[in-house]
Amino acid sequence: MSRMHRLRSFAAVGCLLVSGCRPERVATPGADVEAARTLHATFVSASSATGDTAAASTGTGWGTLKGRFVFAGSPAAAKPLVADKDTEVCSKGGMKLLDRSLLVDPSTKGLANVVVFARKVTRVKDGPSSTPVVFDQKQCEFLAPVFAARVGQPIDVKNSDPIGHNTNIAGSDFNQLIPAGGGTTYVPKAETGMPTMVTCNVHPWMKAYMVFRKDGYVAVSAADGSFTIPDLPAGELLEFQVWHERSTGPNGALGLDKPDLKWTPKGRFQLTIQPDELKDVGTLEVPASAIGT
Amino acid sequence: MTTMKIIPACRLLIAGLCVAAAVGCGKTPPAYFRPNMVEATKQRLTADQEKQVATILLAMFGTPDDPVCLPETGLDEAKLRLAAGPVRSDIVGRKNGLYREHCAHCHGVTGDALGPTAAFLNPYPRDYRPGVFKFKSTERADKPTHADLVRLLHNGVPGTSMPSFALLPAVQVEALVEYVKYLSMRGETELALMRAFFELDDDAQGKLPETREFLVDETLSPVAEKWRAAADAQIQVPPMPADIDMVASIAKGRELFYGDKANCVKCHGVTGLGDGQANDYDDWNKAIVEIGKELASGTTKAREASTAGMSPEELSEHRAQLAWLDKFGKVLDGDALEPRTIPPRNLRHGIYRGGRRPIDLYYRIHAGINGAPMPAAKGTVPPEDIWHIVNYIRSLPYGLDGELGADKPMLARDRF
Repeated sequence: MSRMHRLRSFAAVGCLLVSGCRPERVATPGADVEAARTLHATFVSASSATGDTAAASTGTGWGTLKGRFVFAGSPAAAKPLVADKDTEVCSKGGMKLLDRSLLVDPSTKGLANVVVFARKVTRVKDGPSSTPVVFDQKQCEFLAPVFAARVGQPIDVKNSDPIGHNTNIAGSDFNQLIPAGGGTTYVPKAETGMPTMVTCNVHPWMKAYMVFRKDGYVAVSAADGSFTIPDLPAGELLEFQVWHERSTGPNGALGLDKPDLKWTPKGRFQLTIQPDELKDVGTLEVPASAIGT
Repeated sequence: MTTMKIIPACRLLIAGLCVAAAVGCGKTPPAYFRPNMVEATKQRLTADQEKQVATILLAMFGTPDDPVCLPETGLDEAKLRLAAGPVRSDIVGRKNGLYREHCAHCHGVTGDALGPTAAFLNPYPRDYRPGVFKFKSTERADKPTHADLVRLLHNGVPGTSMPSFALLPAVQVEALVEYVKYLSMRGETELALMRAFFELDDDAQGKLPETREFLVDETLSPVAEKWRAAADAQIQVPPMPADIDMVASIAKGRELFYGDKANCVKCHGVTGLGDGQANDYDDWNKAIVEIGKELASGTTKAREASTAGMSPEELSEHRAQLAWLDKFGKVLDGDALEPRTIPPRNLRHGIYRGGRRPIDLYYRIHAGINGAPMPAAKGTVPPEDIWHIVNYIRSLPYGLDGELGADKPMLARDRF
């Protein structure tokens, strides 16, 4: 009898070994082999057909875009962050660092730190400025929760704390020590697409976002929710991308119900600005459902 | 008596058949590249979009048994063929299928670090697909040089499960390095393609343009170019002064280690045991942690939402969201490993993953470690000071400075 048992358990263990105990993996669609063959022929064909490269410029002059984001809900009280390192600096005088991912101005309902940038433009008014913009950190917090800069424009990464930090820009070539009271200069070389996270690995609660654009047509909404992008090329259809850290949309895209601006779920809207026009898109209401936890 | 003997024999036969049935006696299905399901699901790709990416990748890179590479990659297809495919000897007795013989069990056929043994290793094997490599002689975000990867295969990665392949003939090491580059380029191209759907204009109707210009010139070539550029991107290291006073240099290095400028102490700890800031993640694990957080909060929100009063459109959107959350959970179960924190290196062991030559330590401090929390000291710490830190660190495993508490190491259970 015991031998039978042994056999049975042997068979059971054998079957288990064969079938494995990894969770079943989600099925994936296979490639289209015929289509791949045709594509491969295109890849190896000598002709690198370059048709119309950049869309031709259609207008002249420059205009300005402005607007204001308001939050149509009642935000929960900001949660305190777990800041348990270097407490003599980071929680100086019992100060508690708060989560800044949803900043709503109590009096105006303005929603801060919404990013708006132009997706494609045919003309740019000026080149990047060589004057550095300052990105500072103090009391174990990046002063700007969301920071926009232009590719090619120097950023003066500073540390106003008496302790050392490091500034780590995800997906970039920058993760450097920033000594106490010191700083270093970083010149972004490539666009970020959507904003990318910035952290300090010494103090893991420190978090900010950065967005770099080649054309510099980018704005971050202020405390009252307002934003302005000056010197946009007039006379052409412009498309803007909108982002918020807590947005429930794909990659942080903020989708609003604004059919007049052709606002899409990918957080994009379109409009044309006339030369010297100050285009005000007015108050843009962000419903509570568009913001995640 | 005879029946008693027959019965166990029958049972043995049945058990054998059971196993055989489970194993099957048909041909083993050919190896395939598994799509990056975490990214595909994160980007909410439809089945058609996943299929389009798979088709483009098949056209660009072929299959694990039949790799191809476009001239833009700069790769040598002959080397790839030696490394690819099942383990076998060709007609002249030359070993083929080197990647599957030596690497695939950990790094996976796809180079996704999801081979069958991956989950049991600590640290996990490298996932080549993001194109991020730690131990190299180039600046932080640059690719490793060819020589860097050859050296890594020669030495292995001390302190990890990555062994040395110094006993392999040079031609085989060359083939493996080429194949790792191939898998990395393929993985990075796949990521770029999957992310490109979001960047599409609305009139593209969710389909990537299948032109040579978009797929090769704008997507593949920038990935390949970074590998080509690595050869000229080596960090220029000023040699350590030959007449350096080593005792003074170590003392200066110690000062820097504890000082606010280099700040090594914050993570590597006051004892140098790697017991400072220790609850951080590397980029590969952090990506999974972030997704996990997002999923958890999204699931709570979706489950708590009342469907009463929803319009038919809202209801179908709500159901699609629930289905997506459910799918993402399953994808994480099957296509990602449980995230692990990255402990800072214990500098008292004298085991250095990226190599133990002084210049290796110089590279690590100068450029930081790509993909890991370790920041770069260049720009804020001058080269001569980096050499002092290197000298101090090299003294740590042999140091007798009891005041650091090295003679009273902290117990592992107290550290975590």
